[in-house]
Amino acid sequence: MLRRVLFALCALFVLLPSAARAEGWLDMISLSGLLETDVRFNVEDYRGPVEGEGYNFAINRNDAILHAEIRPHDSLVAVFDGRLRFYGFNTADDLPGLSRDRNQVDPFSVQVDQAYVATRGLPWSWLDLKAGRMVQTWGSADVFNQVDLLNPHDFYDPMDYVRKVPNQMFEVDVYPADWLTLTAVWIPVFKPALLPPSAPLGFAVETDANGCLSSFPAPPLSVEDNQALADLFASVDPCSLNFATPQVNLYMPKYTFADSQVGARAKFSFETIDFALTYYYGRFPYPIAYNAAAVANPSTTQPGKVNVDYVAEVMYPRMQVAGLDFSYTAPWLFDVGIVGELAVIFPEQVTFGLRAYQGDAKIYEATSVNVPSTPFIKATFGMDYTFTKWLYVNAMYLRGFFDEFNDAYGVHNYVVATAELKFRSDSLKLRLAGILNVDDLSNVANPQLTWVITPGLEALVGAFIFGGKTTPSNTYDYAAREKFGQKAAGRSFAYLKVRFTF
Amino acid sequence: MIRSTVVAALLVWGLALAQEDASTPAPPTPPPAAAPAAAPKLSPQEILAKMEALNNGFADQKMEIRITVFEVDGSKKSYDMTMFQKGDKKRLIQFTSGEMKGMSTLVEDRNTVHVYLPGFKKVRRVAAHNMNQSLAGSDLSSEDMAQVSWAADWNLSLEKEDDTSYWLLLTPKSADSAYSKVQHRVDKKTFAQQETHYFNKAGEEVKRFVNTNFTDFHGVMRNKKITVSDPRTGHRTEMDILDFVVNQGLKDDLFTVRSLQWGK
Repeated sequence: MLRRVLFALCALFVLLPSAARAEGWLDMISLSGLLETDVRFNVEDYRGPVEGEGYNFAINRNDAILHAEIRPHDSLVAVFDGRLRFYGFNTADDLPGLSRDRNQVDPFSVQVDQAYVATRGLPWSWLDLKAGRMVQTWGSADVFNQVDLLNPHDFYDPMDYVRKVPNQMFEVDVYPADWLTLTAVWIPVFKPALLPPSAPLGFAVETDANGCLSSFPAPPLSVEDNQALADLFASVDPCSLNFATPQVNLYMPKYTFADSQVGARAKFSFETIDFALTYYYGRFPYPIAYNAAAVANPSTTQPGKVNVDYVAEVMYPRMQVAGLDFSYTAPWLFDVGIVGELAVIFPEQVTFGLRAYQGDAKIYEATSVNVPSTPFIKATFGMDYTFTKWLYVNAMYLRGFFDEFNDAYGVHNYVVATAELKFRSDSLKLRLAGILNVDDLSNVANPQLTWVITPGLEALVGAFIFGGKTTPSNTYDYAAREKFGQKAAGRSFAYLKVRFTF
Repeated sequence: MIRSTVVAALLVWGLALAQEDASTPAPPTPPPAAAPAAAPKLSPQEILAKMEALNNGFADQKMEIRITVFEVDGSKKSYDMTMFQKGDKKRLIQFTSGEMKGMSTLVEDRNTVHVYLPGFKKVRRVAAHNMNQSLAGSDLSSEDMAQVSWAADWNLSLEKEDDTSYWLLLTPKSADSAYSKVQHRVDKKTFAQQETHYFNKAGEEVKRFVNTNFTDFHGVMRNKKITVSDPRTGHRTEMDILDFVVNQGLKDDLFTVRSLQWGK
């Protein structure tokens, strides 16, 4: 199947221009794209699933991205964004695998980020329509958009934090006046956010050098309930417990009309300020724990050992979000740029329940409200300024990270800062970016040096470094894990990218 | 990156400075016989008004532009872009090469600039402070480029004149300006802006525009090359106008945020 898609893409590359030339359509087609190779190296050995593993290549990837716009006339456009990605790591793990399928030795995927058609001014001059697979971004801030909920983020690669999960949707834009734009979007089917490969570590138990249980991640229960749960295991020799890899199941919304999503926006523009009022009804795109069970049974193969299976279920709660965002240039403050976003979230309540069984006997049960139904706020407030020709600074305060939903972890506070320095006529750019969790002081730093070798060809070298403790300050407190310190956040790595834009 | 884009948008003004219209009537040939009557002496305001009329005197304009930035050590890099302009206010710049390809900037006035960022798939308003950044390391900055009407914000006098040129001296009305004075050399025959010199508050020349290669573009004359340099360092930027057409009937709708983000 994948091969067929790839073949079709290649055919598109080859045939489209010639067909266009034959039909005189060439002027209607605009092609652009990107070739990028990306090599990353883990620069630590303690944040992975196995202690001591590290200082190895984490990614060896090659992307070919094509963006095509076909405009038969001024009021119609078809847009295609495709990505061919080679992953660079052999996945064949046996001898037959080397002769069975090249895809195992050189795995790749084809991804389509956008494929939609749009009309403009049809049938009325004040109306635009869009339908198909697309990626939308709402909000005024850079990246950290609290009101941007139509497409969840694709955090498979945490460094590519602007990448999103595309979805099929229908959009209507109405322009009743120069200063006002009204937008309505309907998304029939919900799609969840993609998570980094490190995410399952959030459910993994910790073992010591002898393979004996040392701790397990606290579920979203009260400290007292988690203490009681731990006491169950305290009476057992930790070295006798065989913990299986936790199984985390997704409880997905059904494909019904009632489970579709809608968004609406009224965007205003006056003088030096743009602002928008938004509304979204749908689901929170990051998983929220709501059910778990631990089952202990004597091992049938290892006398004296106890097998422990842990099964959890996560869900995507409904929510309504009323939002406001603005961007403004402050002439009274040195022309500083100011952006703000405020989202008031009305969540569906989520109650978490955990049961523990010894054989068939239930030995523990606890429940807790993981997400209360009370409304809460997520917000972004930022400022940016160009100090000199070569120095630009952007700083933001965040109330609530992408994946925070006022569950037992809470809604945390962050400071995001970026300084960009340019040298040699902008051919060398040094960007120093960082995020600090103000509540637990964990952080992530992302220094990056970009060399524009020649226009269109760039080399980037940098690092993505997580700071903070991998273990929580209180093992019984779900909220005590450090945001960027915990292993589930990911690994620290250095990277080298070479990118060609055409 | 956003800052670079903004300055690129403002390039429009710099390019406009180089404009000269072939349709401008040639000065009358003096009669060969008796001594001609002295031409009425123009005031500095009239000279400037004629120069600005040349710069923005079309219903709309479209330029294909190549910018080449020269380092002092001789290395260079080039970017291509297309600029659309309507009247003397609205303009749209689309980057067509290099790492900024796909980026578009809409300039409505100094306080209303929007940029489409393809990497983010969104339109963002650009703060005024970003106007101070250079484009891709070029010698162009916002204060140079944002001068739509010199008459509005600068005091004006005629510094000198010679056989071919008027030399206008402008001093800023606002103390916020980075420049203490600006000189324009204006061609006496065509009122085209030939050179512009910028001086900082220490009286040092910090930037120089020189317009050359007067060329016929589809019946309209325009300087094909604009060289912007920093006399202190020798760093320079050359803007080559690859193509230039006017009065193509560009719609107002092209110069809107709606257009900026549609079909991207």
